Amino acid sequence: MVRITWMLKSSGKVDGDTAFKTVEVKLCYAPISQVDRPWRKTHNELSRDRSCPHKIVSKPYDKIPQSLNWTIDRETPTGTYFVRAYGTDVNGQEVAYGQSSDAEKTTNLFSVEGISGRHTSLDIASICFSVFSFGSLLVFLVKEKRKAKLQQLK
Amino acid sequence: MAPNHSNENGSIGSSLHGVTAREQIFSFSVEDGPSSQAIRSDDPTAKFALPVDSEHRAKVFKPLSFAKPHMRAFHLGWISFFTCFISTFAAAPLVPVIRDNLDLTKTDIGNAGVASVSGAIFSRLAMGAVCDLLGARYGTAFSLMLSAPAVFSMSFVADAGSYLAVRFMIGFCLATFVSCQYWTSVMFTGKIIGLVNGCAGGWGDMGGGVTQLLMPMVFHVIKLTGATPFTAWRFAFFIPGFLQIIMGILVLTLGQDLPDGNLSTLQKSGQVSKDKFSKVFWFAVKNYRTWILFVLYGFSMGVELTINNVISGYFYDRFNLTLHTAGIVAASFGMANFFARPFGGYASDVAARLFGMRGRLWTLWILQTVGALFCIWLGRASSLPIAILAMMLFSVGTQAACGALFGVAPFVSRRSLGLISGLTGAGGNFGSGVTQLLFFSSSRFSTAEGLSLMGVMAVVCTIPVAFIHFPQWGSMFLRPSQHEERSKEEHYYGGEWTEEEKSLGLHEGSIKFAENSRSERGRKAVLADIPTPETGSPAHV
Repeated sequence: MVRITWMLKSSGKVDGDTAFKTVEVKLCYAPISQVDRPWRKTHNELSRDRSCPHKIVSKPYDKIPQSLNWTIDRETPTGTYFVRAYGTDVNGQEVAYGQSSDAEKTTNLFSVEGISGRHTSLDIASICFSVFSFGSLLVFLVKEKRKAKLQQLK
Repeated sequence: MAPNHSNENGSIGSSLHGVTAREQIFSFSVEDGPSSQAIRSDDPTAKFALPVDSEHRAKVFKPLSFAKPHMRAFHLGWISFFTCFISTFAAAPLVPVIRDNLDLTKTDIGNAGVASVSGAIFSRLAMGAVCDLLGARYGTAFSLMLSAPAVFSMSFVADAGSYLAVRFMIGFCLATFVSCQYWTSVMFTGKIIGLVNGCAGGWGDMGGGVTQLLMPMVFHVIKLTGATPFTAWRFAFFIPGFLQIIMGILVLTLGQDLPDGNLSTLQKSGQVSKDKFSKVFWFAVKNYRTWILFVLYGFSMGVELTINNVISGYFYDRFNLTLHTAGIVAASFGMANFFARPFGGYASDVAARLFGMRGRLWTLWILQTVGALFCIWLGRASSLPIAILAMMLFSVGTQAACGALFGVAPFVSRRSLGLISGLTGAGGNFGSGVTQLLFFSSSRFSTAEGLSLMGVMAVVCTIPVAFIHFPQWGSMFLRPSQHEERSKEEHYYGGEWTEEEKSLGLHEGSIKFAENSRSERGRKAVLADIPTPETGSPAHV
């Protein structure tokens, strides 16, 4: 479980938050999880950016500091992450952001170990069907050999 | 009909006739009267649903029929091959989920792609030999049922290494290509073999396209039952696995190796001779045409297999399509096989009717070069509509070339037909491994550059077809030999047997094949077959 807290920066402009309508909190990949993985590349153009694909929560903006206890869901892959919050305006356009890491994305990263997706029942079913495949082939070969031998004796 | 003593031991000409012909053992008397139910025993071809030639190979192709044994073999063959294509490329559309589950990098994915086509290099070689020695039925069934466990074992995969290993092992089942083409080549006569092989190969290759639509759909349905994505994709692989087992059982129970029966039965009753693997292997390897076809197929089918692995990602990245749309584009490349490859085979047959084997070789060269040129265009296309147009033209050209090539391959050898199909098929996979390694596994070239370079390499590697020469039929630029002996088909096919083997009559199947292959002379064949009347002018003039 991850505890996330966000609030307006005290050093920000006064009334700088009038444009915000919603806050979107996202889980983003740290650089180490982006190496040799072009599908997680960071793009300056946000519509092409793929580094923050996992949505944590989307809440209407409240002037008071907000926090959340978030349970990482089962679809999250193994990797190293940080959290980013975007402030979006009425049109859904991102107008501000904040993140749990520094600008170079080197501090305060946490790693997640994804589930393997394996199941004992799946393993057993897999073994059963494999054995059936081998077995039926073998049975067939033996039967045909016997039939051919009988035919030859005739 | 006088009793034939062909079953006596040691008699010359004992029933080791060819692959199919059977001698009459007993004499029959045919009763008078139309109501008689007596079997027309002097016409062994009467029991076949389709008209057949002297080797009992079908002379017509009826795709909607399931008649024993010819059409049934065709359908079992191509559906088995189709199923294996589904299994081999089943991972490709699910890679976005798999790469998250297993924490894969681009290198891991690229290597697994190369591995998925490499296994078949060896299995296709082995399959050629298996078909020659054990028959196409066992070959197909082994391939299907021994690789099904590999498909199921996706449920155990936990990292990049095991993923690569499983994709490698699943890839072995692409050997069904060889057994499928071999099966149709022994069931259908030379005049239509281009079309039949083209349909079987093309409809099987379609599996590579169908899987891009099937697997995401299965994955989605399994997720709806409540499974997490990382479990659902593993379970989705059970579908191709089931299909393989079902097809394996159908092939074993409904299929038949040869028009007259199963290989082991015919061998035991002395009607088909058991050949020696070393001989079969030697004659395949010694024939230089085998190696030219190896290279050629590497740059028609090889290119096609590479595209199956990279094209979806290319459209996704370069043109910013959604995964779903990119999958549809990728699927259309594979689905073009439905008509493109049969068209290539048919074009080859038509060219053979008019110009003989030379026509087949020219058709092959034209189709493959044109396809490769469109591949160069695809890499250079910067707008989506142009890219899709280039891709579709490229797919038709390259896939038709695959069909045309297998209009030529059955004539390269009779004795080693299976092994040559195997070697050629292996060449396809080898070409795919090479192109993926050279152009698509590193960041040296962008994918677009890689596509164009692959097209250039394909154009260059298609030139060797000009060097395929048959003494009895000629080549692209040379006429057939004028030499009396060498210009005969019997000399070419008989040359695969030693004098000792010929004295035992082991080569008679090849001689029968040689007679039937006279159709490869083109229009001249029609003239050559009219016998000159012995006694002056015909009576009815």
